[in-house]
Amino acid sequence: MTMTFTLSVLLLAVSTSATKAPETKAPATTKPRAPGASVVMSSWFPQVEGWKVSAAPTQYTPDNLFEYIDGGADAFLQFDFEELLTASYVNAQRVEVTVDLYHHRDAARAFGMYTQERPAGSTPVPVGIEGYAGSDHLEFVAGPVYVKLAQAGGKETPFLRMFADNIAARLPGTREAPAVLKCFPDRGKRPRAEKLTARDFLGHAFLHDAAVVPYQIDGAKVRLFAIEGKDESDARTMVQRYSAAAKSPAAPIEKAGSAALKDPLNGEVMLRWDGRWLWGAVDQPTLRPQALQALQVLLDSLGKNLRSGRP
Amino acid sequence: MSKSKTKFERRDFLKLGGAGLAASALSAGCATVAAERKPQAPVVQASAPEPAAKTAGPPRRILGRTGLEVPVVSMGVMNADNPNLVRAALDGGVFLLDTAHVYQDGRNEEMLGTILPGRKRDSFVLCTKVLLSTLDRKTGLFAPETRGEEIEEKLAISLKRLGLDHVDILYLHCQSQRESVLLEPVLRGLEKVKKAGMTRFVGVSTHKNEPEVLRAAVEAKLYDVVLSSYNFRQDHHLEVQKAIGEASAAGLGVVAMKTQAGVFWDKEKTNPINMKSALRWALRDPNVHTAIPGFTTLEQLQSDLEVLHSPALSPEDKLSLEEPQKVAGLYCQGCEQCLTPCAEHLPIPELMRSYMYGHAYRNREAAQSLLLALDLPPSPCTDCLTCPVVCAKGFDVRERIRDIVRLRDVPRKFII
Repeated sequence: MTMTFTLSVLLLAVSTSATKAPETKAPATTKPRAPGASVVMSSWFPQVEGWKVSAAPTQYTPDNLFEYIDGGADAFLQFDFEELLTASYVNAQRVEVTVDLYHHRDAARAFGMYTQERPAGSTPVPVGIEGYAGSDHLEFVAGPVYVKLAQAGGKETPFLRMFADNIAARLPGTREAPAVLKCFPDRGKRPRAEKLTARDFLGHAFLHDAAVVPYQIDGAKVRLFAIEGKDESDARTMVQRYSAAAKSPAAPIEKAGSAALKDPLNGEVMLRWDGRWLWGAVDQPTLRPQALQALQVLLDSLGKNLRSGRP
Repeated sequence: MSKSKTKFERRDFLKLGGAGLAASALSAGCATVAAERKPQAPVVQASAPEPAAKTAGPPRRILGRTGLEVPVVSMGVMNADNPNLVRAALDGGVFLLDTAHVYQDGRNEEMLGTILPGRKRDSFVLCTKVLLSTLDRKTGLFAPETRGEEIEEKLAISLKRLGLDHVDILYLHCQSQRESVLLEPVLRGLEKVKKAGMTRFVGVSTHKNEPEVLRAAVEAKLYDVVLSSYNFRQDHHLEVQKAIGEASAAGLGVVAMKTQAGVFWDKEKTNPINMKSALRWALRDPNVHTAIPGFTTLEQLQSDLEVLHSPALSPEDKLSLEEPQKVAGLYCQGCEQCLTPCAEHLPIPELMRSYMYGHAYRNREAAQSLLLALDLPPSPCTDCLTCPVVCAKGFDVRERIRDIVRLRDVPRKFII
């Protein structure tokens, strides 16, 4: 089903929102969305002087997102996409700006989807939690919303940053990247290449969502990861199942420990766990002793930060 | 660990977990044109019955006029961000890979670019798609200023990401209207990239209004392949099947997508569809030459490898595809045991019926009509800290009510 909203409905919603300042620091929520969420979302479209909404905002849900982005929808669904509202603005010079607001279940999911699409090493755009841009597009994430802007025409005058700032001011939720990413040590970290995954980490359904950060150690590329279990027992279950998949000799899984697993899909994986956390390294070629030592130091540091809950 | 060791262990795992499927697939996994190379595995011509089982390798079919021999099960790469999973698929004999310029904003093609350049070029079939910026995705029509050159520009970017000098199939992405499929500048653009050797074949992809698009692709006499949604839950699957037959008879290669039909029977994702049966349902049609299910885990890959080797739809498969009563999933039996515990005295059976209209029958108008006829409070199910209602059929009553009552806020004329 596609639901469209008239401009009058949109403007009514916008004027309503003007009397109530948008939240900027509300925590991410996993609660079910309230009735009338589409109307609330429509208030996130700004009124911009000199620009008219050329087409009424259109809503897409998990049932029909594929009608808008075809096979690309599957990845969004994996990141618990809930609703998209999209609208186009046009000015007197017939420059058109398309605004897509993808609302996800929570801020971590929105940020995760954003990291799946962000080019590694891209120049950051300081809007919302963060963003990146090209000559005719700008993407950013704020709270539970992943925003995608595209401009057609008028390349000599970039309007997207103005739209982005305007929209970001209306969006609810956090302006901080997920805290787990701050636990990864800086040394050797590839800039702006970290990712949050949703389910099936490393191709295994038994591994929960992970934070993954690429590193360069002694010329070799290695990925460090961290997975948070629901509790200590959940984390140990993941270790147990991973050990079984790697055909490691059966052994009791202690509260804390480490193992070198031969992952059937990904090769050798260095795994550590303590409490509800699992962390480790994957994609390691044969590291020289010095690099291996450096990797161990990184894993020590990551574990310490995860356990203490701060970098 | 060395890369070669990793590869060995991946194969070893597939052998163990996939009952030796990968080993035979490896010997057969190579993409060649039928006329150039004697097939090593049974090849099914369009409209021919599936060959008998217990053959040397997994069955292949000829992808229409392209002449490519392809495995019946291929890989939709769109969800995969782990190159090792793609490597395992290739090693297992799933050698047709489907991506798109826009998937993950280009990161999907870049991920493939870390794998493919190191492999023999004729050992895989790579398909990508370009989505033109002037396509109105609501109407499916192109704007007047549409330029065929955009196809070449975007394909050049895709090739750079993929680390290849050509792709095997380039699709015009996301088509739903005949006049768009036949638009002259677009046809010229496709023709140009094919002549330039940037792609061997061209096609069109569709997930909406498929019969019209498939017939337009035949009419254009330019396209070599069509990529279409096709699954057992489509209300119009018989129309799609007919159009697929026409496309195949006209010599086009036919690739099926969305064969997994939503993966779950229910919106709550508690009742999974049998993926092997759903895939076999699409492949039971000999005019479908290959299907491109997506997968993100090794277990899912193994499941698809089983279908690759045994694609015939069995009676058990048919049985498992009978919808468990829109039934157990969405049909309220009206026992009314929910009425007493509800502190808000909501008409829960009627609300469940509205939910069924909205989600099982996709008839939002009927769902909204029913909602508006009920005497409901402004925000049902928002004040109770816990819900005392226990549904006899196990419905999450509060969640469903919260979901469906949103429809009340939508003006009727905007419900399509």
